[in-house]
Amino acid sequence: MKKLELSRRGFLASGVAVGALGLAGTYPFGARAQGTELLRLRLDGDNQILDPGYMIGGTEVEAQKQCLPFLAQYKREGDTFGWEPTYYVTKLEQRDPTHIDFELTEGLIWSNGYGPLMASDVKYSYERMKGTDWGGYFDALDHVEVTGDRTGTIVLNKPFAPFFMVTLCHGPGAILCEKATEDAGGKFTTKFPAICGPYTYEQIPGQRTTFALNPEWTGPKPGFDTVTLQVITEVKAAELAYEAGELDCTELGADTMARYAAAMPPNSSLTTAGELQYMWMGMNTEHPKLQDKQVRQAIQHAVDVDSILAGAYSGTTTKSNGIVCPGLIGHREATKSYSYDPAKARELMDASGVTGLTLTLRTLNNQERMLTSQIIQANLAVIGITVEILPLDSGPFWEMGTESAGDTWQDLQLWTMRFAGTPDPYEAAQWFVSSQVGVWNWERWTDPEYDRLYEAGLVESDPEKRNEIYLKMQDIMEETGAYVWINHEPEAYVHGTDIQISSAPSGELDYRRFARI
Amino acid sequence: MIAYLTKRLGLSVAVVFLVVLMLFSLLQLIPGDPATVALGPRATPEAVARYAEKMHLNAPVWQQFLIYAGNAATGDLGIDVFSERAVTTIILERIGFTLALIFAAMGWAMLLGIPLGCLAAVKPNTWVDRITGVLSVGTIAVPSFLVSIWAILIFAVNLRWLPAIGAGEPGDTADQLTHLILPAFAVGLSWVGYLARMVRASMLEVMGETYIRSARAFGLTQRRIVFGYALRVAILPTITLIGMGFGGLISAAVFAEIIFARPGLGKLIFDSVMARNFPIVQGGVLVATSLYLVVVLFSDLLIAWIDPRVRDSL
Repeated sequence: MKKLELSRRGFLASGVAVGALGLAGTYPFGARAQGTELLRLRLDGDNQILDPGYMIGGTEVEAQKQCLPFLAQYKREGDTFGWEPTYYVTKLEQRDPTHIDFELTEGLIWSNGYGPLMASDVKYSYERMKGTDWGGYFDALDHVEVTGDRTGTIVLNKPFAPFFMVTLCHGPGAILCEKATEDAGGKFTTKFPAICGPYTYEQIPGQRTTFALNPEWTGPKPGFDTVTLQVITEVKAAELAYEAGELDCTELGADTMARYAAAMPPNSSLTTAGELQYMWMGMNTEHPKLQDKQVRQAIQHAVDVDSILAGAYSGTTTKSNGIVCPGLIGHREATKSYSYDPAKARELMDASGVTGLTLTLRTLNNQERMLTSQIIQANLAVIGITVEILPLDSGPFWEMGTESAGDTWQDLQLWTMRFAGTPDPYEAAQWFVSSQVGVWNWERWTDPEYDRLYEAGLVESDPEKRNEIYLKMQDIMEETGAYVWINHEPEAYVHGTDIQISSAPSGELDYRRFARI
Repeated sequence: MIAYLTKRLGLSVAVVFLVVLMLFSLLQLIPGDPATVALGPRATPEAVARYAEKMHLNAPVWQQFLIYAGNAATGDLGIDVFSERAVTTIILERIGFTLALIFAAMGWAMLLGIPLGCLAAVKPNTWVDRITGVLSVGTIAVPSFLVSIWAILIFAVNLRWLPAIGAGEPGDTADQLTHLILPAFAVGLSWVGYLARMVRASMLEVMGETYIRSARAFGLTQRRIVFGYALRVAILPTITLIGMGFGGLISAAVFAEIIFARPGLGKLIFDSVMARNFPIVQGGVLVATSLYLVVVLFSDLLIAWIDPRVRDSL
């Protein structure tokens, strides 16, 4: 038998041949795989921690909504948002300001042999949350009283008006299987210890997450048998994937929204989830260059927000007048103490006696924020203020005003900032109380009246009174001169005209409520 | 040969050690508490304390380094900050995709670039040479991320011949190869130009050698002279270029992995930097460096194998 030998020449020739064969084996084909029961969506990154107590948020909440029970869910009522009981309960009623009675639906089973969904699971899940990273959502919870296998009462330690909207409807309101979670060591990361929802969950890290029909689910059948979520980090890449027919629905960036508004892709619709993001330009009231309130007010009057909306956001966002977003109690229709008025801004600068002022404007280094900053730079130049723009990566940006993260907060002068929240004004308001100075109140002002109103807003259940409270709080904020309100960016999705999508006001998708029209 | 190999391996270990030291130092140089930096300003004190204990952050810095280096030597690159999975496992899940992309990109670039370089060299100063030159410089000049976007727009969005995103269905080789075509095209295109220019320059030099003239005098065919004799010598600097260019390919792969939404080592490192997930950044860079060293070593050994003059000098 002849011995096999690989010569140098043979090696080179074989390498070429194998390479050619490999490439020849790849053949083009139609990119779109059609299937009525399959829904293809985008995931902006791997889900890291599915445990509601330790999650990062965002898409992890989306996964929880498919696989775990919730007592309440969001409901859209025209232009506003409300809540309704989920399929998991036959009763969810507020008996008095501190007692909420619930009765779980009969026959709902946990996977992996963990038996039926019990009221004790609700007690375990909610009381456990108090000691977790998301414990703030359960500050008002005193305990959960179990009155039967499927019945119980949530007892609050004080009236807390946002409990349904902020706590029960959102990710922290997910219910875990007590026994399964304890068997998993008390917490979990990338796998649910047990599920009780319409879909099972499987993640291939870096590639995709698949939700398939849960064979043990006895509740209403979701609109799609399988939901696959492709990991696509960049919004632009996802938009291209949609246009290539590889996704059925995806989130859009502001510039693409404008492009689609002019020419929508064939057989596509646009759905706006909500506008629960509020962006502003902040000013550090303690910085020596900005301690004079007249200077801050001059800046408020000098910034042309309409130009920002047109130039940086292509007219796709809503002008902001405060921290409370459209559709929520306490939303302001207009600013009170300033409007775009360069002449008034010059007067205020003259009155302050400050000349030759140079300020640093820190911003995230993305397209919209950079354009926004450049427009602000041009606006402030008109009143004699020179602005140096400092673009930052998300890491240093998000800790620049935090005292525990270094000394940058002392140099902070101007910055553009955007927060997002849940559909209740309390959450937006909480970041600006006195105790948040150096944490998230980077403007570093305090006002006892604001703090008092914040506490009042938590316990007040009358919508009219709550509305007045949050309007007054925003008046106080605006009068500090530390804010130029910019916009509320919508969470917008493009999808096929044959698909009805479902999303929370904050933009999280609820795949189980998607439907083929 | 064995002494040479031992020396090179020793140097490689030293480089890897330096990289570990550098990465570790960079983490220490970041302002603020490492645990707060990694977990973010909203982390609770309990979470910060848990992280500090897990990462040995309460030990002296030199001790932390020794623990990390010791663990890295045994293949333990630490734990992901968020998911608490082993960094080694996470990297192993992704690295195959990056290697497939890099080898496919370099593979097709070699298949096209080397013959183009030869063609330009055997027909110097003709229209063939000029067209090849323009094409080569053109492909080098266009950034790979731009090629990626154009490729998606043309072949996926407009023509719908090829998939735009992902790495294909797990376990379905044909699907995975199909998903590899556009990213490999985008990453490899500039290498077609590099290789063509390099091979042309080397070939022109070799074609002027006396032994080539002798071969012609003996009546050997042009094809035999070019592929049998000249290319064997002219390919040597190209192999070095390919080996050295491996690091650059990893960078180009980052863009392709992001734009085509492919899993891979480059994207993993990028995402981890953005999320400040430092154990994965450290582990990913360490593995990428090690890979680079292995490829450079392999290319040097390949040259020695192909060229007896180099082999004899080792």
